[in-house]
Amino acid sequence: MEVKTFQGGAHIPHYKSYTEDKPITRLSPPKEVIVPLLQHMGSPCEPLVKEGDKVEIGQKIGDSEEMFSAPVHASISGTVKEVGKRTVPTGGEDDCIVIEADDGPQEFEMKQIRDPENIDLEEYRKCVREGGLTGMGGAALPTHVQVKFNEKVDTLLLNGAECEPFLTCDHRIMLEKAEQLVKGADLMMRSIGAKRTLFGIEVNKPDAIEAVNELIKDRDDMEVVSLAVKYPQGFKSHLIKAATGRDVPRGARSAELGCIVRNVGTTVASYEACVYGKPLIERVITVSGPKVANPGNYIVRIGTPVGHILAECGVEDLENHKVVLGGPMTGLAQPHLDVPIVKSTTGVIVLPPEMTREWMEYTDCVRCDKCVEHCPMMLYPNQISVYAEAKMYDAAEEWDLMDCIECGICSYVCPAARPIVHWVQRAKPEIQKRQRSRK
Amino acid sequence: MVSDTQKLIISPSPHLKAKDTVSSAMRDVFIALIPVTAVAIYFYHAYAAFLIGVCLVTAVLTELLFKKLQKKKPALHDWSALLTGLFVALLFTATSPWWKAAIATFIAVGIAKELMGGLGWNRFNPALFGRVSLIILAPFFAYVDSWFAPLAPYLGAVDVTTQATPLAMLHAGMEMPPLGQLFLAFPGGALSEVSPFALLLGAAYLFYRKHITWHIPVSILAVVAVLTLIAGQNPLYHLFTGGMMIGAFFMATDWVSSPTSDKGKLIFGACIGILIVIFRLGLSPTEGVAFSILIMNAFVPFIDKAMKRPSFSEPKKQSQAS
Repeated sequence: MEVKTFQGGAHIPHYKSYTEDKPITRLSPPKEVIVPLLQHMGSPCEPLVKEGDKVEIGQKIGDSEEMFSAPVHASISGTVKEVGKRTVPTGGEDDCIVIEADDGPQEFEMKQIRDPENIDLEEYRKCVREGGLTGMGGAALPTHVQVKFNEKVDTLLLNGAECEPFLTCDHRIMLEKAEQLVKGADLMMRSIGAKRTLFGIEVNKPDAIEAVNELIKDRDDMEVVSLAVKYPQGFKSHLIKAATGRDVPRGARSAELGCIVRNVGTTVASYEACVYGKPLIERVITVSGPKVANPGNYIVRIGTPVGHILAECGVEDLENHKVVLGGPMTGLAQPHLDVPIVKSTTGVIVLPPEMTREWMEYTDCVRCDKCVEHCPMMLYPNQISVYAEAKMYDAAEEWDLMDCIECGICSYVCPAARPIVHWVQRAKPEIQKRQRSRK
Repeated sequence: MVSDTQKLIISPSPHLKAKDTVSSAMRDVFIALIPVTAVAIYFYHAYAAFLIGVCLVTAVLTELLFKKLQKKKPALHDWSALLTGLFVALLFTATSPWWKAAIATFIAVGIAKELMGGLGWNRFNPALFGRVSLIILAPFFAYVDSWFAPLAPYLGAVDVTTQATPLAMLHAGMEMPPLGQLFLAFPGGALSEVSPFALLLGAAYLFYRKHITWHIPVSILAVVAVLTLIAGQNPLYHLFTGGMMIGAFFMATDWVSSPTSDKGKLIFGACIGILIVIFRLGLSPTEGVAFSILIMNAFVPFIDKAMKRPSFSEPKKQSQAS
């Protein structure tokens, strides 16, 4: 079997054994959900409901007329308790719709409304838009923007790499929903007008590779690309490079790359939105960590507070623990447990004190070059970190700081424990300001 | 049940961290020097042990003093002061006056490291800087030595120190000891020169622990071997004598004062090799390795900038055809 990959990167302990064999199950609905009006990259939604309104599960409660936006839906039936500011996973407060559940049934009825074998593509695109689909792997771009017909795109690349430690939700989706995945990919490929679909899957998920291969064995326009187990294999640029061999220059659009990358979860959800009319009101997340009593892959409703999930999974003591939304390499540590799950949340990872530290005491760069050796972007994190720490942003820009994808490998391998990604994140807006003023 | 009062930890991503630390790496270099230190003590008994002790103590005191002067927290736990002390000691002969070794250590830790901004900011290898400073200060010491001479301890007779060092024998065209013996263990010269084999053993450990790569040592040794061969000499004698081994494997590979990229490391090593041969064949052979490495240390920022690899996002040049 040919295994493809990219240059650089690192092997990070993947801690997937906690949940990789756990079938997807459903968590009980929470008493209230907090649905942020901005869960994607682009313009926020305007609320369509107000305090006191009754809402049904699946009802659209926020939308926008802007192109780069995706509507949001009620993930439980109940009463709108509040439309206002709440803490969101990206940090800070933002507009949310809070819904209090009523006592009625809380399941979305999965009723086939379209024949999957015979779907009008224009209708499919409309369903993706109306279903509020966004990227569910991390970068939450509105999906409808990228299912339009594009004659320059020849390849649909499905991202099943799942390179972040702990996370196994995409793995389980590929395994348990392989059929919807392949059918969804077929729809998406035809909608875009691509000639072929590649499934990029890391080889530590042999059962998923087998499941997909079994379903596509008679198709010559679909292929599984086996990828080496290496972080950050699932980042868009590195997935494209590994799977298609194409370069990904800065600022390149999908059309120039001839390739569109989609997360496997998004692909399945798009299929369900079209065939069953089910909007994006729930998703599979991985709840994991060495101290989680019942780790697993759970279907949770968008807007479910983290505290509800952790209580359901038997997390008792959280003193000095870190609760991360997303994977442990790029996810965000949360200040409290009232933060909701959003469309792009891949997991809730609970790291005990011995695995993580508040703010590591760091020292000056000793130029060991480990970050340079592992940087998947071929940058010099050592130089960047020194300049960014000292706020010497012109020099940092010269060393290509703006190309950084913030994958976190440099900080992970740094023997001096330097918070390089943190400095890069601080520097980027400053450098953008300078770039704009130069123009 | 999860309560609201429990303290959650917040910090920037990534939330996982590899185990390696600066301290563990420095400690590994210290461990890698144990074999050659043991051979040196075997040959020179108390003289070697005493000199090493003086340098270690001086290194610690110097670090404490300079950190205090600069109002910084002492960082003895990072092992770098101790390591510099041991390195300086290994660059002296066993019967060198201890005050010289102490002053060299003081310069290495205090000036070459701490005053340059601390570990990470020293452009020159601190131990070599300290050692070479003493050579430059030699006229001054000719004057000072007489004051300190009564302070030299008598630690028993050591007969192996009176003979010429292998490097001096090589330079004078004298008949050389057998190569095998030179490689395994042969007294003469600085403490670190007693056994290329012991140094290689330590270097192998550093390779195994991934603290050094092959690029710098191999390029130095290859260039020296080829050039001395062209000059009509037996390259092995050059490789096994003087500071060649400790220089190539331990000094030139110093993280802080060597280039970043593999290509840069090869250029750095090759230039050091050329300089060493010029020193050995044309100029004074003693401390040729030390001077060569220090000279190239100064060029590291230029090498790094010139050898910068293109970013993954850098657009590839369009081919002429398209």
